Amino acid sequence: MNLDLIWRYAPSLLSGFGVTILCWGAGGALGLVLGFAITLLSRLRIPPLNWLIRAFIEVFRGTPFLVQLFLLYAGGPSIGLRLSATAAGILGLALYSSAYFAEIFRAGFASVPAGQIEAAVSVGMAPFDTMMRVMLPGALIAAVPAIVNMLIILSKETVVLSIITVPELMYQVQTMAAETFTAFDAIFAMAVFYWLLVEAVSRLGARIEARVTAFLAHEASA
Amino acid sequence: MKPEVILHSFGYLTHAAGVTIAVSFAGIVFGFVIGALVCAARVSPRPWLRRAGAVYISIFRGVPLLVQLLVIYYFLAEYGLDVPAIVAAVGALALSSAAYQAEILRGALNAVPRGQGEAASALGFSGLDIWRRVLLPQALRISTPPLINEFILLIKASSLVSVVGIAELTRVSMNIASQTYRPLEAYVGGGLFYLAINLCLAGLGALAERRLAEAGAR
Amino acid sequence: MIELAGVSKSFGAHQVLRGVDFSVGRSEVVCLIGPSGSGKSTLLRCVNFLEPYDSGDLRIDGRLIGYEDAPDGTRRPMRARNLREMRREIGMVFQHFNLWPHMTALGNVAEPLRRVRGLNAREAADRAMAMLTRVGLAAKAEAYPSRLSGGQQQRVAIARALAMQPRLMLFDEPTSALDPELVGEVLEVMKGLAAEGMTMLIVTHEMGFAAHVADRIAFIDAGRIVDEGPPRRVFHESPEPRVRQFLQTYHDRNAF
Repeated sequence: MNLDLIWRYAPSLLSGFGVTILCWGAGGALGLVLGFAITLLSRLRIPPLNWLIRAFIEVFRGTPFLVQLFLLYAGGPSIGLRLSATAAGILGLALYSSAYFAEIFRAGFASVPAGQIEAAVSVGMAPFDTMMRVMLPGALIAAVPAIVNMLIILSKETVVLSIITVPELMYQVQTMAAETFTAFDAIFAMAVFYWLLVEAVSRLGARIEARVTAFLAHEASA
Repeated sequence: MKPEVILHSFGYLTHAAGVTIAVSFAGIVFGFVIGALVCAARVSPRPWLRRAGAVYISIFRGVPLLVQLLVIYYFLAEYGLDVPAIVAAVGALALSSAAYQAEILRGALNAVPRGQGEAASALGFSGLDIWRRVLLPQALRISTPPLINEFILLIKASSLVSVVGIAELTRVSMNIASQTYRPLEAYVGGGLFYLAINLCLAGLGALAERRLAEAGAR
Repeated sequence: MIELAGVSKSFGAHQVLRGVDFSVGRSEVVCLIGPSGSGKSTLLRCVNFLEPYDSGDLRIDGRLIGYEDAPDGTRRPMRARNLREMRREIGMVFQHFNLWPHMTALGNVAEPLRRVRGLNAREAADRAMAMLTRVGLAAKAEAYPSRLSGGQQQRVAIARALAMQPRLMLFDEPTSALDPELVGEVLEVMKGLAAEGMTMLIVTHEMGFAAHVADRIAFIDAGRIVDEGPPRRVFHESPEPRVRQFLQTYHDRNAF
């Protein structure tokens, strides 16, 4: 593995990294919005809707991400959905993560102590204000650790996108490896790179979690 | 959408499901052995062992599974003997799962009420006996639901070994798609089989959790 | 102020309140005591309809709460808007304080003023600050609940309820969750309120407080008011054996 090689392929590797970040960012953001919407819809307690939501979550959590991607990219055209590889990748990440985020937000709402809601009710607060000022902030703060965790998992899932030829980092590395016959070295370097990246992001995530959950620290003793 | 496609390939998909289950099972069993060793390292009194265990977990949880799989595959291809792809597949699943199982086992050990070990010690049990008769059985019981969950995750992760040519559900779905020119039906079919497997496992997990709760309450 | 006539409530098959007749007059301080499971908290929570009661009449200043009389003479659930209107006039303090953890002490007190009374930010903050000063916590206005002791949190909770200028205050075991050293500061605030003429209904285990501050004690057991009257009479001369038995355990445990 010589540096000359990396230098030559730097542009494509950087572009690949850029696509990885794009897919992760867009997919994650979309997934968060979708997941949150699903949770809000499920709170309406409309039985047929909740049944659909349950089915959605079971399907996207019960099947492999790769199969979901193939379905969107290869199977999409059969139902009129012609997506580019990258678009399919982003949509796939979004749908996949939205099922997990929906459960995360649901757990967040459930964790808001009933007493806090009773306090709002007993003072005559309207349901809208109770939701916006008490339940929502409480649910979101409680959900932060799980959201951070899921976003890290999502960042690792982006490599699967290479299988449907999305030009992200893994794809570029494999292209380079094939063109230069350096399969093992290239992939190994990629492994090291990812390990360091995920380690760094995990530590950052832990720091963010600590800041946010300081709110919910137990009351000062005596 | 032509459901007949799925019906016609039912035989292939069923066989492929068997491969998926077999590969995942091998992965979780070997992963358990390795994971138990890593867990032992993590709780060992020797600092360098603890460090080694932590590094193992950090590596095999940090590097994406697909990358791990290809590293092992290319390693075996370039430096190994004539080893079939299945070794790389099961190896990657096992090594990766071991990192998660090590944490599950460590959590389970911590969850065994401390008082039990202390009571056994006060009654005169030897260290090894405390392990064999008190801690280990309880830890295994507590770790059963999360291990079943890990099995579900492994079933899903096994779809990646399709890239090294193993004829499991995903690869067979791909084959059906290219042979029948009906990718939608092919992948829906594969997806349904995965769902079926995972719903069964989830049911098993719920049963195990209930049994565990009852046992604890007794 | 508060009138209960034949109020009953069941949780499923379990009847918690059995035809309770009870009243609290203006500026009266009434303490509800009794064993656990007697229904005292449930009774309190029915007063602001946090728990719906099944039958009977519960009136605040003559107005039925939780239900309205429909034109055809039957009874139907009260409209949500009317219920909220009535709740504004009733302050409640909970055993576990129930402060909102993502708001400061000042924020907690000001929030209902802004959302329910419709004050603007400046007015709400001023009124909230005055309330915090009244309970002795002006210095902690910018602190989050997680940084306050239990006693301080409860005083903020009292300030939050008081700021709404309610006509009456309900207290659900306000000191039961506090370390013994912190109970005093909360009881002091409550004594001050009583002295100013606030109508108060308090569920409590603090017999000393009840003996000194309450105008009336009501003993509730198995969903019925078994005895009520001035503290001296109930504590020392109650004809009811159940009451004497209950108080005996207090005398035994608290005498040292």
